[in-house]
Amino acid sequence: MVNKLYQYFVIILLVGFMSNNTSFAQKNDLKNYKMLYKFNTVKQHDNSRLFEVSFVASNKKDRKVKLPVYGADINFINVVNEEEILLGTVKTDKEGFARLTLPENQTYYTDVEGYINFLARFESTDALKSIEKELAIKDVFLELDLKEIDSIKKVTLNAYTLDSLKTKIPLEETGVIFSVGGFISNLPIKEATIKDGEYEFEFPDDIPGDAEGNIDVFVSIEDHEDYGNVVQNKNVPWGIFKEQGKKPTLTLWSHYAPIWMYVVLTILLVGVWSNYIYSIINLFKIKKEGKNLELEPKD
Amino acid sequence: MDLDIRKRELVKEFYPILEKTTKWSKIWIGFLITIILIGLVAFVLQIVKGHEITGMRDNVVWGIYIINFIFFVCLSYSGAFIAGILHFFKSPWKNSVSRIVEIITVLSLMVGPIFILLCIGRLDRLHYLFIYSRIQSPIAWDVLAILTDLIGCVLYLFLTFIPDFAILRDNSENAPKWRRKLYKFLAIGYQDTPSQRDRLYKITKTMSVMIVAMAIITYTVLAWIFSLTLQPGWNSTIFAPYFIVAGIYSGFGVIIISMFLIRKYYKLEHYIRKVHFIGAGIILLVMSLLYGYFTFSEYFARWFSHNRANHFLLDTLFGRYFWEFILANYVGVLVPIVILFVKKFRTIKSITFAAVIAVLGLWLNRYLIVVPTLETPYIPIQDTRPEFIQYSSTWIEWALTFAGIAAFVLFFILIMKLVPIIPMSGIIDNEREKIRKPKEVTQNNMLW
Repeated sequence: MVNKLYQYFVIILLVGFMSNNTSFAQKNDLKNYKMLYKFNTVKQHDNSRLFEVSFVASNKKDRKVKLPVYGADINFINVVNEEEILLGTVKTDKEGFARLTLPENQTYYTDVEGYINFLARFESTDALKSIEKELAIKDVFLELDLKEIDSIKKVTLNAYTLDSLKTKIPLEETGVIFSVGGFISNLPIKEATIKDGEYEFEFPDDIPGDAEGNIDVFVSIEDHEDYGNVVQNKNVPWGIFKEQGKKPTLTLWSHYAPIWMYVVLTILLVGVWSNYIYSIINLFKIKKEGKNLELEPKD
Repeated sequence: MDLDIRKRELVKEFYPILEKTTKWSKIWIGFLITIILIGLVAFVLQIVKGHEITGMRDNVVWGIYIINFIFFVCLSYSGAFIAGILHFFKSPWKNSVSRIVEIITVLSLMVGPIFILLCIGRLDRLHYLFIYSRIQSPIAWDVLAILTDLIGCVLYLFLTFIPDFAILRDNSENAPKWRRKLYKFLAIGYQDTPSQRDRLYKITKTMSVMIVAMAIITYTVLAWIFSLTLQPGWNSTIFAPYFIVAGIYSGFGVIIISMFLIRKYYKLEHYIRKVHFIGAGIILLVMSLLYGYFTFSEYFARWFSHNRANHFLLDTLFGRYFWEFILANYVGVLVPIVILFVKKFRTIKSITFAAVIAVLGLWLNRYLIVVPTLETPYIPIQDTRPEFIQYSSTWIEWALTFAGIAAFVLFFILIMKLVPIIPMSGIIDNEREKIRKPKEVTQNNMLW
């Protein structure tokens, strides 16, 4: 029977070790990974343009396991009639991101339809194949006007593109999001659709600002098929100042513990120790009785 | 039944056990003392040279000392729990195992806290714990709980010993003078009169409830020391019940091992029977299932949480600690389940084997709770030497660990030389009850 026991023991060990060793090996083999390559561009509030590539290897079996590709050269290119104009080359960081920001005065060449064609390319290496992603967008201008007339705060947005003669062409039926700046992320306050290149609305008067009541108002176009991502913002003293709630009085470094803690601990300790004392008193009574019995004359 | 004659018979039966000294027992005691002395040398070295000679560093501030501390306190808690239950419900097994359990309880509660003192770098500031104690700190709760529990357990152990001390006092005419004096002092004038018996029974019963409650509180507080921190692998709402289940699991393991050794060495087959091993084995089976369920639940929740820190921890557990993880959480749980589940395997030897696996697995589980978590904190450790990040224990720590185990075994042997491991008063009580309620007690008697 003992032999049988050892057999079971060894079988359990083997099954455990084999199954886990396999899974561990899978995590380290490049063949088990799929390359995720994303390209995006954002026109920022100062009309500069940010180009961003995210380059990450994702495990085919366990999608939660993701490894950023570090130090990969990414070429950002403006394509015009099959001619490639290099805008810049950036290496991916430890998170797998390559970011390039070009100033407002950077010239981009458009095709006949007015689209700027961008390309983000990773050239092949010994370990990885080459990858590239393309984007075609029109250059959009957002003008945000914030005015207070007769105690009514008005937000006016003008959105347009420019043709080859620099004539403004108003945007039509384009979704925009108005938001205000927050500590961690922006707080959306309005989702709207632009008509004839314009949109206007009354700004709510209950949005908290900073200590001086200043607030950042943002307008953005997000992932539009023709215009990509565009952001514009302005700072305005329209926020209300809200005092922070009272500072918490109970902290780990507080001098005194909460009252209930003293009460509970006292009840527990008094309960237990009074029982110990009761037992000890009874022991003394037993001892006393024993002593009395010893003193009694034996028959 | 003449009680005096029966008491004399029992002393005649058990007294040789108290005086039993063979060549091998002397060698064994010498061996234990040597291990303790080596531990003392290690302790002096640690005091002189500081914690630098241990594996503990700035990041991994706890090592095998704290694991031993948790393990011994866990033994004590489970011992107190089992002893209290056995006494309160007048279990038919009481006479066979209760004394073993009570001794384990007190000794482990004496040895365990020594290990926490070894973790402290500045022992000269130990009294600060009391002077600057902060009630909102779980460490302060732990100090209070352990001290109160220790005093309660010693008191309870003494209460259960009194009738046997009285029997030995009245029937050891041939014993050395010091021994007779000691029995007289410890028996505190107990003459087994009805009023003394009632009084002792009443306070022992109250204390049995009290030590069960104290054990649960103490071990819960110990679990909170970990679970109330925001460390990956520790911050868990089920840690307290998990620790309690694990405590009973290892407690039954150690009781089975002790029963096996005592039965074999002192030839107590008549009192510690196979039925006791099977009963303890079935409880061990239930506890192993519960412990396995809690362990799975803990790791599953961490894996499913998608929390990066938890994933780093799991990667470490399945990477660098792969074998330890398998031994602790697969072998340490599944092997006892397989052995104890199959009726055919339930022999005394195989149940003891299952208990050994359970105890070793649980010690390793405690190691995996403490060390890998400290190696993978929420804020990644950067720009430091590898030996500061990765813990590896030194001979000093192992010497003190084995010295603690040796001290536990040595004191166990010394207590067994003072009072019989089978309570004579329990046998007398049982026989007295048998006369009073013959039918009822006869059924109970079948078990022990």
